[in-house]
Amino acid sequence: MQSATIRILVLVLLVAAPFIQTNTYWQHIFGVALIGAILALGLQLLVGMAGLLSLGQGAFYGIGAYVSAVLTLHFGVPFGLAFLTAGLVAAISSLLLVPIVKLPSSSLAVATLGFNIIIYLFMLNEEWATGGSYGMLNVPLPSFFGFKFTTERDLYFLILAVTAIIYFGLDRLAHSRFGRALRAISQDEDAARACGISIIRYKSKCFLVAAFTAGIAGSLYAHHARYLNPNDFTFNKSIEILIMVVVGGLGSLPGAVIGAIIIVLMPEFLRSSGEWRLILFGALVVVLMGVSRGGIAGLAPMVLRFVPGLRNSAGKTVESVEARR
Amino acid sequence: MSSEQFIQGIIGGLAIGCIYSLIALGITIIIRATEILHFAQGELMMIGAMAGISAMWMVDLPFWVVLLVGMIGGGVAAVTIELSIYRTLRTLRVPLINIIISTLGVSLILQNAARLIWGSEPLRYPPLFHTRGIDIAGFAISPQLIWIVVLGFVMMAGLQAFFRFTRLGIAMQAAAQDPEAAQLMGISVKRTTTYTFVVAGVMAGAAGVLLGSLFFASFNMGFLSGIKAFVAATLGGLGSLTGAMLGGIAFGLIETFSGVLISTAYKDAVGMVILIAILLLAPSGIFIRAGRRI
Repeated sequence: MQSATIRILVLVLLVAAPFIQTNTYWQHIFGVALIGAILALGLQLLVGMAGLLSLGQGAFYGIGAYVSAVLTLHFGVPFGLAFLTAGLVAAISSLLLVPIVKLPSSSLAVATLGFNIIIYLFMLNEEWATGGSYGMLNVPLPSFFGFKFTTERDLYFLILAVTAIIYFGLDRLAHSRFGRALRAISQDEDAARACGISIIRYKSKCFLVAAFTAGIAGSLYAHHARYLNPNDFTFNKSIEILIMVVVGGLGSLPGAVIGAIIIVLMPEFLRSSGEWRLILFGALVVVLMGVSRGGIAGLAPMVLRFVPGLRNSAGKTVESVEARR
Repeated sequence: MSSEQFIQGIIGGLAIGCIYSLIALGITIIIRATEILHFAQGELMMIGAMAGISAMWMVDLPFWVVLLVGMIGGGVAAVTIELSIYRTLRTLRVPLINIIISTLGVSLILQNAARLIWGSEPLRYPPLFHTRGIDIAGFAISPQLIWIVVLGFVMMAGLQAFFRFTRLGIAMQAAAQDPEAAQLMGISVKRTTTYTFVVAGVMAGAAGVLLGSLFFASFNMGFLSGIKAFVAATLGGLGSLTGAMLGGIAFGLIETFSGVLISTAYKDAVGMVILIAILLLAPSGIFIRAGRRI
């Protein structure tokens, strides 16, 4: 009940954001932040729930973006279809990773990183498909059953709707048999196997869902930024997504959204500090990692505890966070 | 491919491979001692390169002094971040993944601090060696590459000797293998962990001067090299010293030859495909026999 109120509050805030801030630049950044949130939600399933340290989400993001852009730009496919195809192609290409899901976590991290580098080099060098380092210009704006999303605010609401659907879907998934199985795997693989959970199948499915999520985020990015360049999909992107998830709090879906918003908006707020911007950003990442075990999601109840009158409800939040682990 | 190209490929691959090995060794000893995947290792290398070039700007120094300055630079940077950040995080008992993410933050800090200090333009190292080619079996070989290979091997042998024969080296090995038992034997694990970072930083600093002398020194030279060294360490079997050395050299050779034979555009991809293949066929790396660390 308590967390439902918080969720509704956050949703109201997110809906109100483009009305409070009418500057189109900021509305664009809000959209970027929500695309980051979709990416972080997908990775949260992998890292936070299944305990699979993947550094390859940037590759699926890129695949989704280019598939969607090529389909709409060169083949005149309507946005809705290109959007879904982007997710599906990303998901299918994640099947390439099936052989490596059984690796232990540090090897898995390196292998997925390697996968990301391979895909990046493909995007950079296959100019016939991706435009190479010149990138792709003038990706069309999204339209849906005749309705064109032309203003930044329209685009923001499109992205918000997708984010909400993904959030809801993953939330359902986390509380299903599938989610429980993933958590069992992340806690003790051998015990999970003994309980009849097929480790490889569950891990592969997990990659599939995360890749689909990254793919549709890529499609949204393509039609939101309207310009694609391979440099947007390097392993740095994968690492940035991982930072979002860890800053937000491992295992927490709201944390992933908050982490993404913080990581995208922080450099904007630090802009006035000029050349010190990225140093401060790095320092903030380090400090956040130190002050809280569960990222922002773990920090919130700690802060709430200091607010008198909220003590009881804050205690409950701590319990629910602990219980979810 | 002519035999001259082949010889040059071997020497070039060995030289770049030695540099990867030096960085990979640092990554490996840190993983062994603390289980941290140190993403800022490439930045330590960059700091070494920058320290070396700054020393040369001030006075005209012989090469070995520049190398020494680079090593000290890398070591000092490593011990500073270990004492100020990683030790604090360990004391706070945060989960391992948090420390790993914090190394990404450290990498960002070091990169951008270096950009503030040394600027964003790549800096050219003054020639450290005679540029005239040495004649080996009728082929002209750059003496610089040979020096890098020789120095790389000397340093790796030195590290092996340090871990095998010195008291501190043995204590560090013991602390990495079984911290509790080492503690009971009177070894301060806290201190050996710090020394581990010092050694890793020194190795990275040396790699920085060698790599800088080969190409350029720039604030962003570190991250990709660090990632490649990380791959090299995995190639040889993460956690094994010999594996890191051989993995680095193997990766250097693979990279150089796939650049010559397949395509320069896809040379990094070839390395990654081989990495994934090896992880699948021999998950513990090519140089580890049945799980035994050598």
